[in-house]
Amino acid sequence: MKCHAGTLALAALLLALLALVALACGSAGFGWGTNGELLMLRLPRVLAALAAGLALGLGGANQQGVFRNPLADPGLTGVFGGALLGIALLLAGATEFTWNHRWALPTAAFAGALATSAVLVWLGRGRSTSKLLLTGLGLNAFTAAGTLLIAARFPEARDILINGAAGDWLGTATLELAWLPILGCVLAALLLLTQAAALDRLALGEDMAFCLGSDVAQTRRQGVLLTALAAAAAICLVGQVAFIGLLAPHLARALVGPRHRAMLPLAGLLGAGLLLLADTLGRSLWPQTPISAAAMTALLGAPAFVWIASRRHE
Amino acid sequence: MSEVLLASLRLSVDLAGRTVLDGVALTVSAGEVVAVVGANGAGKTTLLRACAGLLPEATGDLTLGGVDPRQTAPEKLARLRAYAPQHPTSAWDYTLAELGTLAASAAEFRHWQERFGLHELTARKLSELSGGERKVAHLSLTFSALGDAYGKVLLLDEPTTALDLCRAELVARAIRASAQAGAAVLVATHDLAWARTCERVLVLSEGRLVSAGPPSTALTAELVRATWGVA
Repeated sequence: MKCHAGTLALAALLLALLALVALACGSAGFGWGTNGELLMLRLPRVLAALAAGLALGLGGANQQGVFRNPLADPGLTGVFGGALLGIALLLAGATEFTWNHRWALPTAAFAGALATSAVLVWLGRGRSTSKLLLTGLGLNAFTAAGTLLIAARFPEARDILINGAAGDWLGTATLELAWLPILGCVLAALLLLTQAAALDRLALGEDMAFCLGSDVAQTRRQGVLLTALAAAAAICLVGQVAFIGLLAPHLARALVGPRHRAMLPLAGLLGAGLLLLADTLGRSLWPQTPISAAAMTALLGAPAFVWIASRRHE
Repeated sequence: MSEVLLASLRLSVDLAGRTVLDGVALTVSAGEVVAVVGANGAGKTTLLRACAGLLPEATGDLTLGGVDPRQTAPEKLARLRAYAPQHPTSAWDYTLAELGTLAASAAEFRHWQERFGLHELTARKLSELSGGERKVAHLSLTFSALGDAYGKVLLLDEPTTALDLCRAELVARAIRASAQAGAAVLVATHDLAWARTCERVLVLSEGRLVSAGPPSTALTAELVRATWGVA
């Protein structure tokens, strides 16, 4: 068994460098400002991207582990869509309330994500994982339609929801708004790391995992709960963004192998790096017409994913 | 008379409204190898899974190492028995060395890996192994999960299917060694010749136990004809 501490340390170092560059990039030009005022302006956005990416990378890795399927991703299985629909329902019902209570949005997102996860597990029980993913795709389309419906019916929530569906909320991040979801992301990430041993055993199938001493139902329950928490916290920061949860675990597996003890933390670091890179490129390449983090992620992520998928041996 | 480690009475299992196992009574004692035989679909796999604690919906009496596996925490149960499924799978492409880290003891896994002739393949991924090699790799995990065999129950579902003669012999020896070390072993198999070398044989047909006892009395030519429809 090789030690992967070196790879993890290198990934962390590269991520720190990327964060420094991201702090220096922006429409006001390269640099941190004479008194660091640009730095302080960009800090919330960079922190938000890092935290959301971390949670997405780990959330995706966990969902893939729990469903034993490399194509699972909270962005594709409807968990994100559910979180956004939760936010939409809250905005439609109580706009005033939402903005006066900073925990209201994350809670609504968590409730939406959890409800979608529960429906996903319930509809997909006892079925093959490919059917589970198809169920997820259906849920994703349904929740997206629900969000758009609310956006159309409630003009005051319209812009914010359309931006959320496009994954374009990072630009609105302020420390005051973002600290709670950032904390949620970090908490979810740390808790997801504790699932490594159980996910390793689950890879061998539910029977074998049980016989090796795992409480499979508990692994599943915790996975669903923590992935929903990660997705909800991340969506409050970014809006809907696919591919991070899909791509980060893939890359991590290619670099350190499938064992979750090394793969999970690396997937988190890579997720953070990918989202920050996408956001930084999106707002720096064409400062006058910035591209949302989600669009940039898909532009970079989709071809990479197709490339990885074509190399898979099954 | 050595200690009974696995016992069932009126053990029945209904799956999707169909009775798959119907009132099976069995005992397996420390030091014993008991073979379960029967045609495809006779209920061999269901019997082993029920004994392993994998079917909480099973009805009837069931005792494994002094506890009811249906009501015992998985962690505690894992110290009392080891199980090998008929078709082991892995969602991810572990190397053999990585697979070994899933065992309770990596040293124990290496021991079985060597015993089954896999010691030179440690760096290989599961996808790079042949079907038989993969099967014994997973069996290494089961045997290493057993640890010290004394007083434990070993449940193996067709452990020698897909194995060449040499590896099948290695597995047969490992089964015998575990029993000699004090384990109670229950093995589902289609290998009637090997079943005749076991202490006792259980013959299942359509979920019912139709014959049980030493091979000479339980596995007669008439019974083979009646159960499998061949001479």
